[in-house]
Amino acid sequence: MMFRKKMLVSLFAALAVLTVANITQAAQPAGFDDNEIRIGQWGPQTGPAAPWGSVARGSKLLFDIVNEEGGIHGRKIKYFIRDDMYNPAQTVAVVKELVERQGIFAFVGGVGSAPGMAVKDYLAANKIIWVSPSAADKEFTQPLNPYLFAVYPLYKDEASILAKYIVEKLKTKKIGILYQNDAYGKDGLEGAKERLATYKMSLVAEIPVEPTEKDFASQILRLKNSGAEAVLMYVSPTAAVITLKTAASVGFKPQWVSANTLSDYPLMFKITGGLWEGVITGAFGETPDSKSPLMVKYRDAAKRLTPQERWGTFYYAGILFADPIVEALKKVGRNLSTEALLKALNSIKDYQTIGPRITWTPKQHQGTDSVMIQKCGPGASYIMLQDWTTNDLATWKK
Amino acid sequence: MDMKRDYYEDIRLFNSGVVLFWTVALMLVLFTLPLYAPNYYVYLLNIIMVHIILAVGLNILVGSTGQISLGHAGFFAIGAYGTALLMAKLQIPFVVALLAAAFIAAFFGFILGLPALRLEGPYLAIASLGFGLTITHIIGGVDLFGGRMGVKVPPLDLGISQLGVSWVLKTDFQKYYLILIITILMVVGARNILKTRVGRSFVAIRDSDIAAEVIGVNLTIYKTLAFAVSAFYAGIAGGLFGFILGFFDPFTFNMILSIIFLVMVVVGGLGTVSGGIMGACLITYLQYDLLKNIGEVPYFGAFMVTISQLWFTTVGLENFSSMAIGLIMIGIIIFEPLGMFGIWIRMKKYWMTWPF
Amino acid sequence: MPFGQLLVEGLAIGACYGLFATAVVIIYKTSEVVNFAQGEMAMFSSFVAFHILAVYQYPFWLAFVIAMLFSILLGVLIEFLFLRPAKHPSLLGMIVITLGAEMFLMGLASWKWGAEQKFFSLPLDPSVTYEPVKGMIVTNWAIAVFAVASTIMLLLYVFFKYTRLGVAMRATQQNKHAAKIMGIRTERVFSIAWGFSSLIGAVAGMFFASRATLDPAFMMEPFLRAFAAAVLGGLMSIPGVIIGGGLMGLIENFFGYYWPSWKPIVAFIVIILVLCLRPSGLFAKHYVKKV
Repeated sequence: MMFRKKMLVSLFAALAVLTVANITQAAQPAGFDDNEIRIGQWGPQTGPAAPWGSVARGSKLLFDIVNEEGGIHGRKIKYFIRDDMYNPAQTVAVVKELVERQGIFAFVGGVGSAPGMAVKDYLAANKIIWVSPSAADKEFTQPLNPYLFAVYPLYKDEASILAKYIVEKLKTKKIGILYQNDAYGKDGLEGAKERLATYKMSLVAEIPVEPTEKDFASQILRLKNSGAEAVLMYVSPTAAVITLKTAASVGFKPQWVSANTLSDYPLMFKITGGLWEGVITGAFGETPDSKSPLMVKYRDAAKRLTPQERWGTFYYAGILFADPIVEALKKVGRNLSTEALLKALNSIKDYQTIGPRITWTPKQHQGTDSVMIQKCGPGASYIMLQDWTTNDLATWKK
Repeated sequence: MDMKRDYYEDIRLFNSGVVLFWTVALMLVLFTLPLYAPNYYVYLLNIIMVHIILAVGLNILVGSTGQISLGHAGFFAIGAYGTALLMAKLQIPFVVALLAAAFIAAFFGFILGLPALRLEGPYLAIASLGFGLTITHIIGGVDLFGGRMGVKVPPLDLGISQLGVSWVLKTDFQKYYLILIITILMVVGARNILKTRVGRSFVAIRDSDIAAEVIGVNLTIYKTLAFAVSAFYAGIAGGLFGFILGFFDPFTFNMILSIIFLVMVVVGGLGTVSGGIMGACLITYLQYDLLKNIGEVPYFGAFMVTISQLWFTTVGLENFSSMAIGLIMIGIIIFEPLGMFGIWIRMKKYWMTWPF
Repeated sequence: MPFGQLLVEGLAIGACYGLFATAVVIIYKTSEVVNFAQGEMAMFSSFVAFHILAVYQYPFWLAFVIAMLFSILLGVLIEFLFLRPAKHPSLLGMIVITLGAEMFLMGLASWKWGAEQKFFSLPLDPSVTYEPVKGMIVTNWAIAVFAVASTIMLLLYVFFKYTRLGVAMRATQQNKHAAKIMGIRTERVFSIAWGFSSLIGAVAGMFFASRATLDPAFMMEPFLRAFAAAVLGGLMSIPGVIIGGGLMGLIENFFGYYWPSWKPIVAFIVIILVLCLRPSGLFAKHYVKKV
């Protein structure tokens, strides 16, 4: 009896408060004021995915440089990094905390496909601009999301370009693929298949690995038995190390080709104990030792401001991801608003800093499909094989 | 004072006016909480409540029946995927989908309960762990479930689309009340289960399964029932969790989550409903809010950064929170084996007998 | 199907699992605690070895010896600081303490060395391989694993069977109070068991690290598999653990060859099935509870 009464009471209370609640939702704090623009980023700083956390810290370097130079039209950039452990539930929590407590004007970067997918709609609903997610997921830009601008070339496009290179330049007929069983790996698989179909060829082996696996012996033997002469790797850095070490121990020596996620040669060379030499990878940023003026500037700033950080690909990818928004903010001028920034971002055309050339239009927010192809030489040096290449098969461009 | 004459007194929700008063007061606070809590805490409260449902359910299994499960993330995932997919693909109304998914989870709980009839301790732990891994792996491997790419959750529509009635809950604010009501129902339900015949059978199994069998408790039924009930709770929790997030992939339900659930129950207090609640609140809060962004805390943050520069790496400073959570867990178990519930009992005793 | 090669690879990784599972078993045998911090203890000790190699540039054998001493100290310290003070802990309470220790060690290691992968290698030339039978390539790594695992297992077997300390450890496991009455200092026995276990874990950890990379999360997956192997072998018997680990490696590799996408869980499914038939694992004497 008591139970039923209690239920009735709580139901009524719930209804009463529901009506109140709809009225009293407080407005969010604004994302900028006269002195500062608040920009946020999430990224795994702890947990198994933490090596990718350097992207978020790399963006900080760019904002520090901008602030040192006096900010943007009198406003300094206040930058927040939040650790989400690569867990979507945590990503939503930190993004809400930033938006609703600190007040955020825009997000940059943000590692991971699933964390990004979890907050994508929330950001769009709150009219918060998000530039350069640090993951290549076609669902970010297709269908068009007016508040989301992507820089990262899609894994599918990259795989297609790499497959073309293997077939046309390396003249290899037997191609296998080792892919991580998730969006990243499957996009790679799809791109490679699409390209090979145009040559009336097919992959001799398609071997999946799970993201957390640590023993690949059976997979490598499968590849070896298939007779593959070139193997595409769409796996994480740790998995790539295990792959190469296992392959060396069973005497399997194909031409390894991999995505730009593994283009940090000094790191890969070191953690594979030198086995990385000869691996061909895609690349979406200039080499760490590049002599281009912008790269020199960033590298010197990094040495001065963040000597504790390693000048790795992921770290300066953070800079590359944050460049376009700084450019757009500069274009907007003193009269800042979300609409003005959107307009500026939408009109970015052939903009290039240390990464690919980016073009955004009001109808297309996938900025680029270009990658370079490089090869790891002796002592982790970079050998350029092919300059910026676009994917002629990319479906999203049509 | 604590003398009970028959079982009905045990079942009564409010055995004194004081309890009734405090319950009403608590309800008032809970129902008005979003009005004065800062906005973003509402999301955190939602997560906490979902974890409460799960921890209370897990506590029925672990604390009251004495079985161990390292696979509850699997049931959690079944609830989340079941609800979202039933709603998205078959246009089933929310309430029906949630219950259906929870019953599917309960069925899997029953299945896991079968080997549990013969296993105990670490053997059961590894079997349930294998179960949890298998569930998320199957979800990740089958395209119907969205594979590793994850699933986008349909809008939370309380109405019935077939009848043209629609009441979509959009904000965390609105979801808060839905989840709060379900949480209260589930918690009261758990309390009732534990205070009745079924609950007493569970406790008898925990204390000695052989003795329980001798006095006529059917082990097959009650052990599998404990698993099913607990999985049902996890299923409900998972279904709600999906709507809080809006998107999830199999990795969201990894093994670490199962372990965290177990930690909640043990830290909160085994075998009591309030223990599950306290554990879920504490651990979730620690994980999501406290000790995050340690570098931005005034004074202490600067101190930590200096220490990091001297002996550690500044890039790893965020890990301080994981160290602190680990130490808090250890501390609670060392100083109070009954968990937070034990601390609560001691505080209560202290005040009730004060000044003696 | 490259039968021979799969056999070699499966046995090698299986021996590695078995070696690590031994560490789990030693603690379980004496104190009935399932130590979830085992993987992170091994990780931390491997990092110490890495640190000595990379920062102080000592020769490998010296770094190895220091890391081994450190690992013993670490095991003893964790037992002394975290487990011993607990008053009447339940089985689950113990598990939560070890989980807490796991989070603490993982946090500390990531704070100290950062999350980026590190290179760790044993002084075994990876380019030297042997091919005793055609199609069966054996590396130095595999030979070293076999050698170390079998030596340690043999020593442990003798230790538990014939030495006074070993018998005392077994007695402590069977009945702590009776052991105490018989004059065994059970607390000291626990310390020794933790030190031992940490040492063996660290050796296995270095083998794993040299096969993959060294980073704060690298032992999570091997720990699960080793734990499963230990359960398969019965958690109590040292020979059982070897066979459990070997089976684990072989099942995974042979099955994974044909169905790579189901490789990560096949071993667990087999274990669940085995446990349904033999609830205490393959090699433990079924232990009937007394009323």
